[in-house]
Amino acid sequence: MAKREVEEINAGSMADIAFLLLIFFLITTTMNLPQVHEERLPQKSDVEFLLNERNVLQIMANKNDKIGIEGEFAEIEDIQKEVKKFYQHKEGTPNMPDYVEVSRKICEDTLESLELALQSYPDAALYKIEQDAWNRRLNACIAFGSGFKTLPNTATVSIQLDNATKYETYMSVLDQIMQGLNSLRDSLSKEKFGVSFSKLNDKVELDKQKISAIRQVYPKKIMKEKNRSVQ
Amino acid sequence: MSKFSKGKKRKDPAISTAALPDIVFMLLFFFMVTTVFKEKESKKLEIDKVAIKETIDLEKNIKASYFWIGRVPGKVDDFRVQLDDDLVNDYSEISEYLAKLRKNPEYSQVWGSRFFNVFKVDKKTEMRIVRKVHNELKEAEAFKVVYSVNREK
Repeated sequence: MAKREVEEINAGSMADIAFLLLIFFLITTTMNLPQVHEERLPQKSDVEFLLNERNVLQIMANKNDKIGIEGEFAEIEDIQKEVKKFYQHKEGTPNMPDYVEVSRKICEDTLESLELALQSYPDAALYKIEQDAWNRRLNACIAFGSGFKTLPNTATVSIQLDNATKYETYMSVLDQIMQGLNSLRDSLSKEKFGVSFSKLNDKVELDKQKISAIRQVYPKKIMKEKNRSVQ
Repeated sequence: MSKFSKGKKRKDPAISTAALPDIVFMLLFFFMVTTVFKEKESKKLEIDKVAIKETIDLEKNIKASYFWIGRVPGKVDDFRVQLDDDLVNDYSEISEYLAKLRKNPEYSQVWGSRFFNVFKVDKKTEMRIVRKVHNELKEAEAFKVVYSVNREK
């Protein structure tokens, strides 16, 4: 009885397996990008803005890193709550900003009058800025399919720091503000689009519009006041 | 002669090594993809970074200048600023440095849009130092600042 010779194992499909594994790892591994908090510095100017007190949410940190909100001592975790209240409160609450009503009709009317104004003063930079802002609001109305209420342009969260305040405190104040703001954005996003705000991908055109629309309702507005010693 | 002949001696077939390059390439690619280059670190200053919850990814392919603010190793409360490679002695050096950078067409094209000032700041730094650097940035019209932080889980 002659035994059959063992055939050579075909290794041709080995490459396929290798590629399969390669592609699997390619897809499942993610790169860790450095994490940052972004901030835009204001222009250098000596112009003083006169703001209505009710349109400002004042947050202070003194040289001992103690936090104050609207002139009263508070804990750092309270900032989040106050920010939420500032952006979303009952119409007519005392000491809170009045809302601005934005609807498609208002946007279109304002854009039309701005267009006319630009025809007579084509170099007016301020009109162009206004035009951009109203275009964004119009796009937001279209994305939501309805109008919305938002804070007036002058409403802002103001941060006052002492020269001796630690950087750590400044960062946690900013973080608290963003946590409050993002949770509002998140619930709006879930209500209007059915996805959480952080899941929206700004590289996808449709999501980008949604992000921009939500930002129109809850804009990030943080003002830093000039060097000042806070007690 | 035995009745049960074993026949001629079988030789084991040679194992094919054709797939070896595939495996090697696979490993190569795997490590290429998973390797993250370490962030630029300061060698001259000690920096203990802040951890916060709400962070965003730093954009890729940006032009940036790097600022480090931290302790000089071995000293207790000596906070210094390092710009790119050297320690800053006088704050006005910063705006001069940025003005020089801006003359470079590579940078001037993206100055208002994709030029970032990346800050890596020690927790315990006092805001007066950060402010002084900010004032220099305003002077040089470089308004975009990002603070490099750790993400708190």
